[in-house]
Amino acid sequence: MSEEQIVRLAGVSRVYRQGNVEVRAVDRLDLDIRAGEFSALSGPSGSGKTTILNMIGALDAPSEGAVYLEGRNLAELSRGELSRFRRDRVGFVFQSYNLIPVLTAYENAEFVLALQNVPAMERKTRVMAVLREVGMAAYANRRPDELSGGQQQRVAIARAVVSEPAIVLADEPTANVDSEAAATILDLMEQLNREKGVTFLFSTHDQRVMDRARRLIRLRDGRLEADEGGG
Amino acid sequence: MRLNTMAWRTLSRNRRRTLITSLSVAFGIFLAVTFTGSGDYSYTSMINTSTVMGLGHVSVAEEGNNARPSLARWLRDADSLRIATSGLPEVSGAYPRIMGQAMFAAGAKSAGGMFMGIDPALETPQHNFFLRSVVDGALFAEAAGRGALIGAEMAEKLNLRPGRKMVITVTDKDGELTSELLRISGVFQTGDHAADSGIVLVPLDRLRQTLGYGPGGVTLLAVYTDDLRRVKKIQADLTEKLSPTGRLEVLTWRETQADLAGLIAVDRLFNNLLQLLVGLVIAAGIMNTMLMSVLERNREFGIMLAVGMSPAQVARLVLVESFWLGCLGLALGIMLTAPWFYYMSRTGIDLSALVGEDYSAGGVLVDPVLKLRLFRESALAILGTVFVLTLAAGVYPAIRAGRVPPARSIKEV
Repeated sequence: MSEEQIVRLAGVSRVYRQGNVEVRAVDRLDLDIRAGEFSALSGPSGSGKTTILNMIGALDAPSEGAVYLEGRNLAELSRGELSRFRRDRVGFVFQSYNLIPVLTAYENAEFVLALQNVPAMERKTRVMAVLREVGMAAYANRRPDELSGGQQQRVAIARAVVSEPAIVLADEPTANVDSEAAATILDLMEQLNREKGVTFLFSTHDQRVMDRARRLIRLRDGRLEADEGGG
Repeated sequence: MRLNTMAWRTLSRNRRRTLITSLSVAFGIFLAVTFTGSGDYSYTSMINTSTVMGLGHVSVAEEGNNARPSLARWLRDADSLRIATSGLPEVSGAYPRIMGQAMFAAGAKSAGGMFMGIDPALETPQHNFFLRSVVDGALFAEAAGRGALIGAEMAEKLNLRPGRKMVITVTDKDGELTSELLRISGVFQTGDHAADSGIVLVPLDRLRQTLGYGPGGVTLLAVYTDDLRRVKKIQADLTEKLSPTGRLEVLTWRETQADLAGLIAVDRLFNNLLQLLVGLVIAAGIMNTMLMSVLERNREFGIMLAVGMSPAQVARLVLVESFWLGCLGLALGIMLTAPWFYYMSRTGIDLSALVGEDYSAGGVLVDPVLKLRLFRESALAILGTVFVLTLAAGVYPAIRAGRVPPARSIKEV
């Protein structure tokens, strides 16, 4: 694995059983993601986009093959190590924002740092800095139910990047927001990628996301159909 | 991590559910205090009432007297025993007494019964139930006199009242029949049929002469304490202190009144069993509530796990919720139970209309007024048990929360 390579999927398959039917969500996929990429997985529903993100983020395990993140085979990690790995090396942005409802925007963004036992003063500095970057500093004390969808997604981005993970996995991040909010969110992620070098991997069927992605990985039936801009 | 903050906010998010669950904990405390409190009160009351009818919380007698009571087994120097016993800090009273069986006759009528020889100068109503139950006349004044305090039913049977005479016939220390003429000084009525129809109090010194005992002779020294939990210690101390003085046996009320001890043990067992069942039902209710709360929040736990919280941390969060729910329940329980306990410990509920005229059960006089009394140990046990049960009820939901599959649960709406 080259130094720039963050993610490598080697012959990865993921098979689910639905009753007596075997569904092959991902089928013998090989894929590399390099540091600093702004990439998108695209394809129709059921093409395996979310499953791939889940496996890279250690939320799911492959039925065959191996997933490497920063050179480590995730299958070799214990449950505790996987938790720490997700905490320290992966940022998640979900389609439905998925903020913790009992925490404020500030506390949501701070959550991962608190799990990492980062000292309180440093947490405050870093969280307020990232909330300013995503334009949510003024809403720091609001709870998720007091924020719009776009605002919640910006807080989710803040939570995903505040711990400076190796990669941010964003599952349909613009699916539940209006066009204007979607554009703002994409601007924001692009800016974080450009200025801070944060690696992003999206799953999407939003054309606006695909247009912005510098690398577009097209999937069909769990297989790689095309890899555009992967260089 | 903000586990406490998160737990409190989660509890306040569904206030009605939190209140209902806390109230069920509080209700558990209420029931436990009522059951245990009535037990602590009634057992204490039964034991005290029973012991002030003669034998004391702890009794000192000649060896073998408890198994085979006989007037031939007697202690020679009651006064020095009494002085030695009274020196113990836990002892609130020690009384030399002679107890045995006798025939009582007046005119052509006679009745069998028990006599209790007492020194009127030493005895107090606190430790002698008959003295507080006098309904006619008074206790005899002189230990060497010929007075007698007789139960109301026996007085009626022998057609006696204060001022009239009767003859007591007993077997003396050598096994010879001997009689003594007594004059009724008063009549007592305890409410217990066995006592009222079968007990006569007579002067100690007169009885010593009748039985052929020396000046310090008694059949037992009845020892009393204000704290029933101390009887074992008193027994141990007295055994150690009195063992050089001869072949004595120092027994607690559990040994001298084994029937009462058995009755209380069985009743306490059922009481505890009932409380355990109530506790388990309440714990099951709390677990159900916690489990519902956890299942409703699958997605939330999924997010927490996805962003790096470990399963153990998620489980801990649910346990912290249980902890605070338990604290809330305890606080509510104390608020709910305190006024009830205050009223019941002071006033109580008079059940005499239900009990009838004979206030005895299994040969033991019972208080017809239902009251509550709680020993500190019982109170701590209740609070501790309820708290532990509440925490335990959170364990399974906590484990479930930690095992939520994040990838699937995040998609739940």
